[in-house]
Amino acid sequence: MPERVMLTIGTRKGLFVAEAAKTRRSFALRGPFGPGVAVYASLIDTRGTPRLYASNCNPFFGMKVLRSTDLGKSFKETKSAPVFPKDDGRALANIWSLETGAGKKDLWCGVEPASLFRSDDGGDTWEMATSISNHEHARKWQPGAGGLCMHTIIRDGNRVHLGISTGGHYLSEDGGATFKASNSGVGAGFQPDPYPEFGQCVHKIARHEDVPGRLYMQNHGGWANWSGPGGPRPDIGVLRSDDHGKSWRTISKGLPSDFGFPIVVHPHDADTVYVMPLVPETRTCPGGAPAVWRSENGGDSWSRLAKGLPKKQSYFTVQRDAMDVDRLKSPALYFGTTTGQLWIGREGGEEWDCLFESLPPIHCVKVAVV
Amino acid sequence: MSIQVFVPAPLRPYCGGASELGIEAPNVRAALAELERRHPSLYRNVCDETGAVRRHVNLFVNTAHVRDREGLDTALMPGDVLTILPAVSGG
Repeated sequence: MPERVMLTIGTRKGLFVAEAAKTRRSFALRGPFGPGVAVYASLIDTRGTPRLYASNCNPFFGMKVLRSTDLGKSFKETKSAPVFPKDDGRALANIWSLETGAGKKDLWCGVEPASLFRSDDGGDTWEMATSISNHEHARKWQPGAGGLCMHTIIRDGNRVHLGISTGGHYLSEDGGATFKASNSGVGAGFQPDPYPEFGQCVHKIARHEDVPGRLYMQNHGGWANWSGPGGPRPDIGVLRSDDHGKSWRTISKGLPSDFGFPIVVHPHDADTVYVMPLVPETRTCPGGAPAVWRSENGGDSWSRLAKGLPKKQSYFTVQRDAMDVDRLKSPALYFGTTTGQLWIGREGGEEWDCLFESLPPIHCVKVAVV
Repeated sequence: MSIQVFVPAPLRPYCGGASELGIEAPNVRAALAELERRHPSLYRNVCDETGAVRRHVNLFVNTAHVRDREGLDTALMPGDVLTILPAVSGG
């Protein structure tokens, strides 16, 4: 079977799957799977026979994990979902991230309240990773507006990066056995100390797998005009690390806003990074004119990509996991909006088209070539 | 006490498709414990891992919501029906 481009689109009303030939001219949509139930995380696991996973965040009956072994034609619940130990006192409120682990069937899952679970059997059984879930800081983390979520899991050999809102960036250098807060240079705008040890509202972290020491972060910016204790803290929103996340520096200069949620790295060029600046008060694009901003030099300068996007009167949010990029030779970006639109940015975001106009509000978008 | 538990349609896949389950329990708490023992997946849909009934799940003994009786300590009598229902909510 020729390679296909697969999209998983997690929405407030279930998971949709879109599929296209590599030309990406038109996508066929199916779903919703897990109908009526919000999906905040999905994963296209391309190791071996592709498997698709999605969280199924049921406000009535609790969290589930859905799995498809037929490229998204059907989904079934895995035998169990992450669950806190009975004597822990916490109850699972949401599933925010699903990532592959080292073993062929290993999965890692970040949840709300911020904790990490691991599965070694493709999601049928789960075990809580106490190293971060019971970290000495864990009970001091505060929920952000979206909840106290572990939204980013990046593995790099024995290094593991976690993003927590609001907890900050945590780094393990022993495969996840232990974690340390690693937030030097990561600002916080909602407390008197602008650079605390932990507690930052990190929105998303991304990296290029061939340059693992460099990481990009979309942090909770928008504090340039803060006049309270600690003073203003401009440009804390978009950051870069060149030492495996041990220290961070701003790359926000040149953006119309340092607030945003997703951050995505070009699949073939570690210097090319994409963000979607939002007005912090409304969390919508400046002037009602959506645009993705791209840097081709690691954040030294930025350019606006908006050809084909609405020029006015568009007030949507793009959430932290709602933007992704495929790995084709000339990659396309994809983002989903809280108004239910799914956009494709061909030629690395040079030209945008709306693939689907009226889906439910979109929480997450993932793409893979399978 | 021999009672019937009414299972709403979305939860029937977690108890072999049954719409009603006959169990022995002196009160609602014991009924939930029996559900956990016999149908752990069904129980997990009704109660979270702390043992609390999920926020959007309502339990009725016959026609009375257990919150208007004695909560999970509400006594059950032979022939009572314990109904599990998702709350009316959404948007």
